[in-house]
Amino acid sequence: MRTVFGVISFAEIAIGVLLMVRLALGPTVADRVVALNTICTQAALSVLFYAAYADRSIYLDVGLWFASFSYLGAIVFARYLERELL
Amino acid sequence: MRTAIVIVLACVGLGFSLSGAVGILRMPDLYSRIQCSSKTITMGALPVLIALVVGEGLISSYTSRALLTGFLLLLLNPASSHALARAAYKAGVPMWSGAVRDEAAEARERREQDRQDSEEGQDRRDHDHEEGTGT
Repeated sequence: MRTVFGVISFAEIAIGVLLMVRLALGPTVADRVVALNTICTQAALSVLFYAAYADRSIYLDVGLWFASFSYLGAIVFARYLERELL
Repeated sequence: MRTAIVIVLACVGLGFSLSGAVGILRMPDLYSRIQCSSKTITMGALPVLIALVVGEGLISSYTSRALLTGFLLLLLNPASSHALARAAYKAGVPMWSGAVRDEAAEARERREQDRQDSEEGQDRRDHDHEEGTGT
């Protein structure tokens, strides 16, 4: 079971690395923010599964903060975009 | 048995996450990419979190955190996607050249047309009124 969790954690990281191509290419800032938001979700899932793999429940809170703060980042960037400050 | 359920749920979630990532990479404009990103959350993250719940059992610290994370993602991510799409539309991020309709622009044009019509009507009424007082 723990091996399965480790593999899932690694696969989520691989998907996040795939998304980094869009983060680097993205023609507009909004494209980059979308990619960053999705990478944050993948990172949160990866941290959750790493916690289950390493059997350390202290890492779970990191995943929780990742999940909630990606929202905050997207909102702040959206606000800057809407006021045309970027 | 439990391991098999975990593997199946994880395969579903990872498959959808991968397809969402490929969509974000290959879709032609920002709005389609935002749609792909939403798919990644609802069908990609939730089955994987359910896999964690199944794997760790119902009463554990992992389960409570996984369910809380799923709830947060389900609540916050549509809101952030909506705010981002709205801000990008207002900032004038272009649509794909093959896009067929822009309903927001059509609605705005219709509104402006209505306002012009009503202003013209107002002008005409004022004009009539002045003529009426003049005679």
